[in-house]
Amino acid sequence: MEVKNFDWNSLAGNFIKVVFLALILLFAYYTFGSPSSGSPAATGQEIFDAQCQSCHTIGGGNTVGPDLQGVLVRRDRDWVARFIASPDFVIAEGDPIAMELLEEFNGIEMPNRALTDEDVEFVLVFLEVQDSLTQAAEDLPTGNAAVGEKLFTGAKMLEGRGTPCMACHTVGSVGQFGGGNFGPDLTHVYGRYGEAGLTSAMQNISFPTMKNVYLGKALTAQEAADLLSFFDEAAILDGEDLAESSTNIFWGVGSAGALFLFIIMAFYWPRQSKNQTERLRNKADADSRRNS
Amino acid sequence: MDWNQFLFVIFPYMALTLFVVVTVYRAIFRPFTISSLSSQLLERKQLFWGSISFHNGILIILLGHLLALLFPQSLVLWNSVPFRLYLLEVTGLVLALWSFVGVLILIVRRISVSNIRAVTQPTDMGVLLLLMLSVLSGIITATGYRFGSTWFTGVFSPYLWSILTFAPRPELVAPLPWTIQFHAFNFFILLAIFPFTRLIHIITYPLSYLFRPWQIVIWVREQRKQNEGRS
Repeated sequence: MEVKNFDWNSLAGNFIKVVFLALILLFAYYTFGSPSSGSPAATGQEIFDAQCQSCHTIGGGNTVGPDLQGVLVRRDRDWVARFIASPDFVIAEGDPIAMELLEEFNGIEMPNRALTDEDVEFVLVFLEVQDSLTQAAEDLPTGNAAVGEKLFTGAKMLEGRGTPCMACHTVGSVGQFGGGNFGPDLTHVYGRYGEAGLTSAMQNISFPTMKNVYLGKALTAQEAADLLSFFDEAAILDGEDLAESSTNIFWGVGSAGALFLFIIMAFYWPRQSKNQTERLRNKADADSRRNS
Repeated sequence: MDWNQFLFVIFPYMALTLFVVVTVYRAIFRPFTISSLSSQLLERKQLFWGSISFHNGILIILLGHLLALLFPQSLVLWNSVPFRLYLLEVTGLVLALWSFVGVLILIVRRISVSNIRAVTQPTDMGVLLLLMLSVLSGIITATGYRFGSTWFTGVFSPYLWSILTFAPRPELVAPLPWTIQFHAFNFFILLAIFPFTRLIHIITYPLSYLFRPWQIVIWVREQRKQNEGRS
């Protein structure tokens, strides 16, 4: 077979240029295109607190505007998104739901808050999370904290084969260097969410990052109960921020280990430093000295 | 079409197609181009420090990713004892940092040694930079978003299987921080350019390298000069 003299490198060179330009665009997209801090739900809450709270409650009853608890169950999500983005437009359109609401709330129109589509999405995610938290928890069986800890670390596998919590979360008392620092520290989660809220959050997992990971891998009622009592006990033991403070330990041990490997390499360099010619020459010299 | 769809469904399939088709084509029709073109005879010392650390580190880490893909539940089981989890994570980080310093040495070598610069193709530099970014984003993930060795099994094992079985679930990757998304996307870029670059030398899977003595590339010319001088 004839091997043709084909210039792979110039072809690939152009390809690389395209890839690099694409990379730069991607960097720009991610750096400037998305909000810098917090989870979508947290950003949504910030927006809600600043822009919506004066007229709306979640579960606190109607005030100037309607109580937004369960609004995404009552209404179509796209409709809510459209209304939040431009209420004046939807009202001017004569939308039947908007007309009905206008009548119910004494003709007070919701002002346009000039939210971007992205902000609206954050608010919707926040409302969804709130909904999942306020759904009434089922009656749970009695939980066992020791079993809960095993479920948390993965020592006891979740029945639905879901990823153990420790992959991303820490709880004060777990392990010498804590659990993961990807997700929030769960040491005081019991106090923050309350029993009903936490149970519901575990049984209907709707946090954006977790939602698809646990799709079809829901926790059983018994597992939720065990974890619940584990979180309850963990709050007493405290030790919050263990995972965050361990980050430096990981860096330190990691760097030390890498340095150690380089030191080992140093012992191999003398063998490598001479090329075969030099080796043969040295050997020949040594032989001739010995023979003379 | 949204970005996530492009980055984690369409591009991966483009990359996989290029990877398979062009690699097979090149292996059949251009067999003698499958090489990383050794530059050992031009510069030896920096190559030793850079290449050995980079290759050993990256190979073991790559093997780790592969094991997580093939045996996710075994990994979860291993990680269920916190001490074993820390051991695995720290080992990964050590290898990653070793490999990162290695690839930095290789980049510096490509730029600063004039002999090497003379034989450097744009792709050589591109591959090194992409590998550097890959290792760097991996290190950030390993320290800032612990513990990847466990959550990989819940996010990337199902995602990668979904790609390989033609039932893509890009929504698994969508909510991740951009560093992790970049790490994954960068892998697909490497896959796409694999057959066009020196990365192709991986398919020679030189397993015997592990057991044979060092192979030293030599100047024949120098030896001849020496012989002439002696005679």
